[in-house]
Amino acid sequence: SQAASPVRVKMATMAPDGSAWHKALEQMGSEWRRATDGVVELRIYPGGTAGDEAAVVRKMRIGQLDAAGITIVGLAEVDAAFDAFGIPMLFRSYEELRAVLDEVEPYFEQKLSEKGFVLLNWANGGWAHLFSDEPIRTIDELKRAKLYVSAGDDDLVEWWKDNGFKPRALAPTDILTGLETGMIDAMVTTPLVAMSMQWFKRVPHMHHLPLGPLVGANVMTKRTWESIEPAARQRLLAAAEESEKEIFDKIAADDQEAVELMKQRGLKVVESADEGEWRRQLERYAAEMRGELVPAEAYDRVTRARDQVRRASDGSDS
Amino acid sequence: MKAGRLIATARRGEDLLAATALVAMGILPIAEGLLRSLLGIGIPGAGPFVQHLTLWVAFLGAAVAAREDRLLALATAQLLPESWKPATGFFAGTVSAAFPALLARAGLEMVLIERQAGAEIAVGVPVWVGQAVMPLALIGIALRLAWKASSWWSGRALALGTSLVGFWLGAHAEVLDGAAAWPWIALLVVATAVGGPIFVALGGAAALLFMVDGIPAAAVPVATYELSTSPIMPAIPLFTLTGFLLAEGGASQRLLQVFRTLFGWMHGGTAVVCAVVCAFFTTFTGGSGVTILALGMLLFEALKRDGYADRFSLGLLTGSGSLGLLFPPALPLILYGIVAQQPIEHLFIGGLVPGMLLVALIAAWGMRAGWRGETSRQRFEPTAAGAAIWKAKWELALPVVVVAALVTGYSTPVEAAALSVVWALVAQVAIYRDIGPGRELLQVVKRCAVLIGGVLIILGMAKGLTSWMVDAQIPMRALEAVQSVIQSKLVFLLCLNLFLLVVGCLMDIFSAIVVVVPLIVPLGAAYGIDPIHLGILFIANLELGYLTPPVGLNLFLAAYRFDRPLLEIWRASVPVLVILALGVLLITYVPWLTLGLLDLVGR
Ligand code: NA
Ligand code: NA
Repeated sequence: SQAASPVRVKMATMAPDGSAWHKALEQMGSEWRRATDGVVELRIYPGGTAGDEAAVVRKMRIGQLDAAGITIVGLAEVDAAFDAFGIPMLFRSYEELRAVLDEVEPYFEQKLSEKGFVLLNWANGGWAHLFSDEPIRTIDELKRAKLYVSAGDDDLVEWWKDNGFKPRALAPTDILTGLETGMIDAMVTTPLVAMSMQWFKRVPHMHHLPLGPLVGANVMTKRTWESIEPAARQRLLAAAEESEKEIFDKIAADDQEAVELMKQRGLKVVESADEGEWRRQLERYAAEMRGELVPAEAYDRVTRARDQVRRASDGSDS
Repeated sequence: MKAGRLIATARRGEDLLAATALVAMGILPIAEGLLRSLLGIGIPGAGPFVQHLTLWVAFLGAAVAAREDRLLALATAQLLPESWKPATGFFAGTVSAAFPALLARAGLEMVLIERQAGAEIAVGVPVWVGQAVMPLALIGIALRLAWKASSWWSGRALALGTSLVGFWLGAHAEVLDGAAAWPWIALLVVATAVGGPIFVALGGAAALLFMVDGIPAAAVPVATYELSTSPIMPAIPLFTLTGFLLAEGGASQRLLQVFRTLFGWMHGGTAVVCAVVCAFFTTFTGGSGVTILALGMLLFEALKRDGYADRFSLGLLTGSGSLGLLFPPALPLILYGIVAQQPIEHLFIGGLVPGMLLVALIAAWGMRAGWRGETSRQRFEPTAAGAAIWKAKWELALPVVVVAALVTGYSTPVEAAALSVVWALVAQVAIYRDIGPGRELLQVVKRCAVLIGGVLIILGMAKGLTSWMVDAQIPMRALEAVQSVIQSKLVFLLCLNLFLLVVGCLMDIFSAIVVVVPLIVPLGAAYGIDPIHLGILFIANLELGYLTPPVGLNLFLAAYRFDRPLLEIWRASVPVLVILALGVLLITYVPWLTLGLLDLVGR
């Protein structure tokens, strides 16, 4: 048979240069090269050098980039269904998240496919927690906090405002000065990020209940995907699946380690005044997101899958 | 006759749209804040709309600039013999008309893809509507460049022909895939050297480089859109408008009076006053040349009246036109923060001492001239000084208000910039009444939009070139290459000084920041240079470029303003260049000048 023509896959990721996520992609890249006899070459642009998530999606659409490792911020630019993973208090554990992802994968693959993308694998950014200057134990205290929200997601900003919170939309580069000047005094982020960006020194109180996992995915444009031989595609997906397992375990461990390291340097873990009440109120807000921030269909799919998984695991526990 | 009236109406509409977009950028954030705190209702999407208005101001302003022959170009064309100009102008116009058309088609591609994707800015307004201004304005610019390429119809037809070819190429990258880019880029460089607009060279080169790599030219407008709509970008046009309103109002007279009563008693007092007044204005106008144009004659006459030598005065004013670029909220600091992803406030604080050092060096040189010459002084009169300060209180308070709003966490850089616009508007129109509220205000804002459009379109196109460099992994390769040759930090800094001096000679400061900073930042990190220190030394170094031929903006503006030969201006500015170079060396090798104050305030 004829030798396949080489395919260079240009892939952007928000993950910092040299981070666990970046290394996992590099590993996957060398696996791809090996599995395709050097036909598929993965070239990675780490650390957001190719632009923010919206820019990276735009560059894939016009054909400048072939693939990207993005979080739900960028995924929701492709299809709003991905906003379902931003529902607070949706998952209790990684096991639950993995089981739900297995369940809903065909639905989200379909959504990506309609927009011209292929899902390579899911990625895990770690658990997002509330970090604040003063301890926050009740939702009323959260409402008084000056909460950082990323500039650009106006729907989310308006939603927070309408519900009586005080969001402050800032550019990511303004977070540090925002914390220093007191423009913001609370933010939602993962322990790994809070530590690597040194934000935790200004917001040293971490709420113990995670709001949810930071879900991401690695996606490729259909255009590039279909330029690869069908037989090779299966080998690429197999390598991606292997990479997904490794990164989930790796980040879970790193996140835990980050919390311990930050505790040694002054981080205080704060518990709710009333955990049940905290959960109930946040779940009430979550329910109000249906049809507003999250398309109703995606909301129902993900919550139903979660309920199913939870019933099955509660059943097997007892 | 009828057609003529129609064109005039269309032009007025274009002017009005550009001016309205610019003023709306200032008013929206303030109105949103007021409404929310007073009535508890906000303006949905105020933030994203202001970001997209930046794009509109950039492209509408540039379109009007093309109409009025005010797109920023290299001044090298002025050195050509008069008899060559019809031929070189035709060549520059014909080549230049092709690329905006190419970029317009590429922009249309982006708009169509965005429309299919269906994203919204806010409250149901689609993103593609925000983007649509790019292809529309670029078509207008291409047609205007083609029209101005020649005064003969046959010449115009030929230029229009190249536009059509460019428009077709904009959607056919495959034609150039694998071809050599350099002959085309050489053509662009020559066209720019003989007077073609700078933005055309940057955007055209970026599009060509992408296309020979097999990537659609739409990559350029996508990069332009990304930079123009970034969250902090609106601060740049807003602060420029503030500076423009001050310069067009009577602020220059009032401030001159203040600083004269404060420093006029010293030897060389008037020279010191000139340096300080120039720095104050440039801080707001951002080194776009407005300082020399607006204040040059006023200050020159003050210096001559007080007995300063002609040559000294020319040198002082030409050099002082770029003082102040390190003070908040100067445009280069904001731009560096956006490109290098550093907090703007840290750059503002870091630049204070180095900025004062440069002003002090120039002031010292002025005092020496005053000491040795027969210059006149005036007595210090506390009551006169108090009266002058009281009269100019609204202008003097402006930098204080801006800095206070920022450091207390009361407002973001964009909100502080919007506040400064509203403040300057109220002061110049309502309090001092230096600018009439109707047609006069519209004209001032429109002139400012033209200036800003000229600068922002350069930035946007430079971002296209940066995007190509990142795509081709050039920053990474540069890092490897430099690290294999240079081991020591000191040698690296020395090479950086020399490199930036050359960059300053060849490029304007704005595109230099957008294109060169992504190359320098990883290098700085590798050699352990603080990113804020790197930013300040970068800008200080490029400040020298305002006084170096062939691109030195201040040299040409001063030659124009004072109506002197370029060579005379250049000779007169050599001492200032040497003094500023000394300051740049100090800023480079004494990091404490930049970082000391930041440490002190615990940043
Ligand atoms: Na955006
Ligand atoms: Na120069």
